[in-house]
Amino acid sequence: MKKSLLYIFLIAFATVAKAQDAGLAPDQNPRYKESQQRYMNTADSLTTTLSTTVQQTYKAYDWYEARMERRQQRREWRHQENLYNGYYNNYYGQSSYYNPYTWRNNLWWAPSVNFRWGHSRWYW
Amino acid sequence: MNFIKTFGAGCLIAGALSIASCSRTVTRIDNNQQIDISGGWNNTDSRLVAEEMTSTILSADWLSNHLQEKAGKKPTVIVGMVQNKTHEHIDAETFTKDVERAFINTQKVRLVQGGKKREELRGEKADQQTNASVSTMKKFGLENGADYILQGSLNSIVDAHKKQKVVAYQVNLELTNIETNEVVWIGEKKITKYVKN
Repeated sequence: MKKSLLYIFLIAFATVAKAQDAGLAPDQNPRYKESQQRYMNTADSLTTTLSTTVQQTYKAYDWYEARMERRQQRREWRHQENLYNGYYNNYYGQSSYYNPYTWRNNLWWAPSVNFRWGHSRWYW
Repeated sequence: MNFIKTFGAGCLIAGALSIASCSRTVTRIDNNQQIDISGGWNNTDSRLVAEEMTSTILSADWLSNHLQEKAGKKPTVIVGMVQNKTHEHIDAETFTKDVERAFINTQKVRLVQGGKKREELRGEKADQQTNASVSTMKKFGLENGADYILQGSLNSIVDAHKKQKVVAYQVNLELTNIETNEVVWIGEKKITKYVKN
């Protein structure tokens, strides 16, 4: 009995001594250095987001907002069409080919549906 | 003559009124006053999250467990990343700062700096190595290592049809033991809004 207890004590002592030699904490994985080495090299880039809010937002579909956006888009397109109206008219032979911005030079009232200056588009 | 005077006065009043109606008015309001304009995330939501988180994080079991395990040594916390996965731009700092302030004011938890501010501190320390007097120079390698990291996420669910919309936000903050990866506390706040255009 005494002999077996002595053996157990010696084995335990040897195990602890070996662990201390390797610099391991109790129950620490002996291959911890592989992981440590891997993360030591990338520590700087991994800690850049500390104390920050990373924005990973998504666009939620909202029927009302989508309608407003469509309306805004239509207005934008119409505005662009009006800007280049004179230019496009060139292709139909309605104004000078060499002056695409004829509508800017037209200093006369253009009777259109919207009663705007120089917009040579008569019907919308 | 009377007519001209009355007409003049009328014109002056009308002018003053038109100028006054065009001017913008700004008034200071109480921070705790709830004003919802667009239905989006606002200061009231941030305040509700901050109140919930600060009240629960300092009264949870993790703190007493830590003090017991470490013989009364206060835990050190670092604030990590918060992911905003909602449909709106939200900066979590508006409520994480309240939590940090609660840590410091109550003196129950120690807080260490992270991210860009920590980089700046190390930069200053590096500068001192060559510019400061030896007696005032701060040494490298004496920073407090954090025991726990506070991370979080914000999520949202949007249900919209025609002019009606229900938006549900869920804010989670998690406290994790850095050495063991054990999550010791999770704080949660759910806010649901009904918006009618």
